[in-house]
Amino acid sequence: MEQRNWHDKYYKLLLLIPLILILFSLTYVTINYQKTGDFFKKDISLTGGTSITVYDKISSSQAEIDLGNKLQNLNVREIYDFGTNEQRALIVETTSDWETSKSILEEYLGYELVEGENSDIAFTGSILSESFYSQLLVAILIAFLFMAIVVFIIFRNLAPSGAVIISAFADILMTLVVVDLFGIKMSTAGIVAFLMLIGYSVDTDILLTTRVLKRHEDNLNTRIFGAFKTGITMTLTSFFAILFALLIVQSFSIILTQIFLILVIGLFFDMLNTWITNVSILKWYVEHKEHKLKSEVEQ
Amino acid sequence: MKLGFKVWLLIFVLFFSLLFIFGLPPKFLDSGVTITSVGSNSTLFDQGLRQGQTIIAIDGNKITNFEDYTNLVSGKFISGIETKLIIQTDKGQYTYYGDTFPDLTVKEISKTNLLLGLDLAGGSRALIKAENKSLTQSELGDLIEITQNRLNAFGLTDLKVSPVSDLSGNNFMLIEIAGATPKDLKELISKQGKFEAKIGNETVFEGGARDIASVGRDAQSARIEGCNPGEAGYVCTFNFEIVLSRDAAQRQAEITSTIPVNSTPQGNYLAEKLDLILDDNLVDSLLISEGLKGRVTTQIAISGSGSGATQEEALKEAKAQMKKLQTILMTGSLPYKLEIVKLDTISPILGEEFTKYILLAGIVAILSVSIILFIRYKSWKSSLALILTTVSEVIIILGISSFIRWNLDLPSIAGILATIGTGVDDLVVLLDETGSKVSLSIKQRIKRAFAIILGAYFTTVVSLIPLFWAGAGLLKGFALTTIIGISIGVFITRPAFGELLERFKKE
Repeated sequence: MEQRNWHDKYYKLLLLIPLILILFSLTYVTINYQKTGDFFKKDISLTGGTSITVYDKISSSQAEIDLGNKLQNLNVREIYDFGTNEQRALIVETTSDWETSKSILEEYLGYELVEGENSDIAFTGSILSESFYSQLLVAILIAFLFMAIVVFIIFRNLAPSGAVIISAFADILMTLVVVDLFGIKMSTAGIVAFLMLIGYSVDTDILLTTRVLKRHEDNLNTRIFGAFKTGITMTLTSFFAILFALLIVQSFSIILTQIFLILVIGLFFDMLNTWITNVSILKWYVEHKEHKLKSEVEQ
Repeated sequence: MKLGFKVWLLIFVLFFSLLFIFGLPPKFLDSGVTITSVGSNSTLFDQGLRQGQTIIAIDGNKITNFEDYTNLVSGKFISGIETKLIIQTDKGQYTYYGDTFPDLTVKEISKTNLLLGLDLAGGSRALIKAENKSLTQSELGDLIEITQNRLNAFGLTDLKVSPVSDLSGNNFMLIEIAGATPKDLKELISKQGKFEAKIGNETVFEGGARDIASVGRDAQSARIEGCNPGEAGYVCTFNFEIVLSRDAAQRQAEITSTIPVNSTPQGNYLAEKLDLILDDNLVDSLLISEGLKGRVTTQIAISGSGSGATQEEALKEAKAQMKKLQTILMTGSLPYKLEIVKLDTISPILGEEFTKYILLAGIVAILSVSIILFIRYKSWKSSLALILTTVSEVIIILGISSFIRWNLDLPSIAGILATIGTGVDDLVVLLDETGSKVSLSIKQRIKRAFAIILGAYFTTVVSLIPLFWAGAGLLKGFALTTIIGISIGVFITRPAFGELLERFKKE
């Protein structure tokens, strides 16, 4: 009998960590859904509304006070240049429609706004954004389902495939909760980030499962540790690459910033879910199978 | 060292990608400026100067870039002094006389075949649907044709009007205009443009080819009459001729024949006026002279006005109003009342900076990854391999995008970044599998690595498929570039990298 290390003793217990997090996340999302009718906070690209970018040095706090009662659900922020740290634009977001918003803002600024010259406009009608929203949710569901089918075809075995799918699901769920706790309002781009996350999180799970199930050299723990070394390098490289890119893009693109932020959070949870959730279920499954095999031989 | 088949394949594909991106002879050697628009009533247009041509020289001076162009033309025209301008393009030579700058816009010549989408090049994009009506495919087709004609008649040519539909079966019209955003975009694309000329309650003629045979747009038949100080600022009036169809002229004769004549000190006119109505707003009311009563005439003069705080503004406004009326009279009204459901405009300057920052972010990401790999594997070869593979993948994605004429937009950029991410993951798998202590041939090991890589590949591809339709396909670029990128990665660049690793190990 080989020596049992701490992981052999406690890996089942370790499963409690993701389990508690999953239960907490599910409760959070359910309560959130009952209270607001939605899984997360949505920005104007999903609720409908207008975002006007004015290329001028205007104080956001003052604008917020002055425009607050004229534009619905107003949200104002300043954008700074990455190099010089000078203010380059003011972004005004509201759920009012674009023509109203534009004329109110023009009145406030005292000059005409010309798109493509001193300002830019992004407007989405509320009916359209509602349909975008439901379609993108369907897209995520279908993507997840397709992913699950492919995983099942690769491993042709319920428990290990299930472990991969559960890990991916936990990953998305936990990321969703943290994104919401940070107060981030999700845009269409954010939903794309979740799609990217499905791909990224499954990568390491497939690596782990392949190494553990399809290789027969070395013992179980060595195979898991080998996979861990490879997988953690994969995730950490992506994590830091995205983190550094995030520092640059946050100065000029709200869309890319949101995508990268969601990916960074997601990759963090991916480490937890691959190396605790997936590893523990997989180890449990393999040990159970070996045990059964042994008792069958003894009989 | 002998190179194997997979490396040769990579070199071959890279070569063609560069060819697609830069063209032959390479476009970065070209000089000049590209014409983005020529006013369709300008004399240069009549001579054959068109959008898309490249201006090589002006008045015999060679133009290499945008700066040369602005230096040569700025300050050349002084109001009231007739000046000659000779424009030499790749297609021929054109001469212009006038005291104002010709109706012509240009941009820096593009150094590659890459098509930059609105997020990177600037422009505007509008998603349009009919108000309170869901359009069928054929209705949408008609709408697109009329809109295209109207925008072209207005002088906008660098644009794309296309049908899109989404997962719920809604049909939309997508208008994308590159470069500067036209000021009256909304008027142009969503106003129905219903023009009616009425006497009393009877419609004499409407906009469109049925009633109107031609619309005068040259200097003789369309002009600004003059400007006068008005209540607030200035008012300029315009006037242009149109030719009615036989039927419309006949109708006018019938209607006017019954109207009594009023005598005024200015002359004798009919008691009722000809009201010009655009989208239910009265543009102008014209007096009808006695001589026209009951007569079939096809020649009609249409007039209107524009006002502004200064004379210059009023003049500009009058010209714009005239152009709008001419356009609507020519193309007729849109068959449906339209609604802009999504509108995005991006300033061209912003787009340029955007590209710069994206490149910076990409370089920083690749460098940070190479450093991590160097720390992990203590070998510069792995870091170098990573940089080479990543750069080739980006080049090939751009090559394919140029080849299929795909517009690189923001979602496409995100897709390229996603490709870089999976590329790094796959390289790590390859490095670890080939470096393991197992007693297997290097070929076997690479095969094992690819079992994992392919598994990850297929899950990613299938999870992107729904994006082709969801959200009216506006995020399609992400799915497309990612799928192209990771397919190239898995089938071309990463195997070539595996083969190189194999050679290294053997030596």
